[in-house]
Amino acid sequence: MVAPTVKRRRPLTPYLLIAPALLFLAAFFGYPMVQGLILAVYDDEAVLPLLSDPGIEADSVGTLPQGTGLTVLDQRANLIEDEITSDLLTEDWFRVSALDNNDQTVEGWAPETRIRIREEAEDGTPLAGTVRTKLAAGADPQTTLFAEASESADVAAKLDARTRVRIEEIATLELWFLVTPQADETEVDQSLEGWAPSRFIQVFGEGENGRIDRGTDGEFTWRFVEKMTEDRFFGPAWRTTLLLMVLILPIQFVLATLMALIIHARLKATSIFLYIYSIPMGMSDLAVGILFFSLFTGNGFINSFLEGIGVLDGPKSFLSADTRNWIIAAIVLAELWRATSIVMVIIVSGLQAIPDETLEAAELFGASYWQRVRHIMLPLLRPSIQVALILRTILAFQVFAVVIALGGGEVVTVLANETYRQYFTLRNTNVASAYAVFILLLSIASAFFYLRAVRTQDELSKT
Amino acid sequence: MSASEMQPSTPTPPEGPSLDVAERRAPITWGRIGTYVGAVFVALWILVPMYFLFSMAFTDQETVRSYPKNVLPFVPFSTSTMRFFLESEGVASGLANSLIVALLSLILSTALGAPAGYAVARYLFTGRDVFRLAILATRAFPIVVLSIPLAVLFIRFDMFDSLISVALMHTVLALPTSILVIASVFASVPYELEEAGQVFGASPLQSFRHIVLPLVLPGIAASGVFAFVLSWNEVFAASVLTLENRTLPALLLNSLSESSDAYQFAGGFFLMVPSLIFMFFIRKYLFNMWGQVSK
Repeated sequence: MVAPTVKRRRPLTPYLLIAPALLFLAAFFGYPMVQGLILAVYDDEAVLPLLSDPGIEADSVGTLPQGTGLTVLDQRANLIEDEITSDLLTEDWFRVSALDNNDQTVEGWAPETRIRIREEAEDGTPLAGTVRTKLAAGADPQTTLFAEASESADVAAKLDARTRVRIEEIATLELWFLVTPQADETEVDQSLEGWAPSRFIQVFGEGENGRIDRGTDGEFTWRFVEKMTEDRFFGPAWRTTLLLMVLILPIQFVLATLMALIIHARLKATSIFLYIYSIPMGMSDLAVGILFFSLFTGNGFINSFLEGIGVLDGPKSFLSADTRNWIIAAIVLAELWRATSIVMVIIVSGLQAIPDETLEAAELFGASYWQRVRHIMLPLLRPSIQVALILRTILAFQVFAVVIALGGGEVVTVLANETYRQYFTLRNTNVASAYAVFILLLSIASAFFYLRAVRTQDELSKT
Repeated sequence: MSASEMQPSTPTPPEGPSLDVAERRAPITWGRIGTYVGAVFVALWILVPMYFLFSMAFTDQETVRSYPKNVLPFVPFSTSTMRFFLESEGVASGLANSLIVALLSLILSTALGAPAGYAVARYLFTGRDVFRLAILATRAFPIVVLSIPLAVLFIRFDMFDSLISVALMHTVLALPTSILVIASVFASVPYELEEAGQVFGASPLQSFRHIVLPLVLPGIAASGVFAFVLSWNEVFAASVLTLENRTLPALLLNSLSESSDAYQFAGGFFLMVPSLIFMFFIRKYLFNMWGQVSK
């Protein structure tokens, strides 16, 4: 703990000084973290309200969850009343003028499906056309013109088939569907029937069937968490992450302690050794992945060496789909190479906190070097090792680029890689968040586990 | 992401770690010789793989593809692999992007971290311990956990795929460390020095500028270098937050499956170089970042 040297002289100054950092962390750390937690359990497109009439101002008659299979009963084109332009199913309507069979000039709206375009401007804008013939038997042979661009508007006029019309104006309308749940959707109210705009609905085939693509109202849900746990990569990912941890951490801590003891032994060139030992600390995990790829790849150095000394006859493939264990071995070596330095530095810091007198006293009483390590240094290092364990474990949950560089991310996969896959490849932001929250919970749990484990030992040693 | 591991805990003054080698020379014994042998072995374990990669980065592409490999240094020496990499599509802009993002992170984390570090080192204020604890907790936070929601937010505010957004993310990662390192550096300069300056007629600003600043500048530079290296190395967040404006690690990661060995090895070399240079300058601050973690 740093002892501050000025006491409350200007009480506001320290707050002003920490304010920028605090605000920054609140905006770019605190706020997104809360959002991340919400993303994992909250679906803001969960349910879609169905409306009594086609039009966004109509009343809701009930809601259906996203993904519900639908039967489409009717469809209607409606003016687009807001600015959303994505995922729309649209229909163009023409305002046309023509002479009807009484030689009266009439004007009104008709859907583009009713007009065959005969004349276009140079930019493709339709200028004139003829009314199409209705093919269905028994249908009204005349085509209706509406007062507004909607089939529910007043009838303005009726035109015979093949009447020439001038196209005065074009309006783009969104389709609305009158839908009801399909018979096999047993978990929802079957009698529900209402309108919804095309932007929320996927329509299949001839337009009789569809499903709710996304809703407008949110709700809390375990769906994303379930999707994560049911994912076929979820099991392999967390098992491999834990396996790597179990394989790496013990070796790493022994190696780090040895390195720390070497640095602590005050050799002549300690400064140089310290520099070399700490190089991996500043190195990207991707770079280390590539580094070990250059060793383990088919025509890499390990094969060259083994063949050189006569162990192998030809190159052995270490990093292919059917050599999962070799990939894991390579990852373990890469992680040992990369992340042992940080543990070493923490342990060296711990060693430096042990007073020389303590060790000298033990030496005077005839303790050998290994006795001093075993009975004085290691017990005094316990808090440092605890911190290093917490940190290394949290980092081990995030191992990512090394795994991709050495194994491609399919044969051997880890939690961070699945987070990335869900986010980047599958575009499942919510499931990716569920993975992220899972990693966070594992990190917190392991930190508490180490804190408790060490505290219990301390309490035991006091009794 | 390994630079993110160089995060401090409770800071100590920089003079705390003793690198003074000759303090207590032990007599030469078999045990001591064994220690030297062990030290050299560990050094080789770290250096030899790097040497292999570097020799691949500085040879011709023919040799990169060849088998078995020659274990002699840089035979034949050639810059063709390196040129091939640098002339590959996206690499020049990736390098520039990485440089810009790293510099932005350096500037941001220093600008935000220096005042906060000074406050923690010099003032006793209500909430100081809470602030320090919050900083420590932030530092241990998984990058993976933060990247996804931050990407969602950046998309919402139309800042996605911009270098600024990556720099902001990297600043979040570097800032806690910067604050704690800078606090420890300020704490190592006794306040009495500042007061002494004022006794001799300097204004508080003058005595800060002429007495404290020269003493703390190397430490602040070290924390800046740390932010730079962290940003240069960071893969996950950069990959999640960018699409077109890839930084070098993000570019490399996403082209791993379709790129040649030569491309990868040269890319690996570029990722490693800053670490090699900068670890040399900040090595004595490593313990500063980690000093007396357990207290």
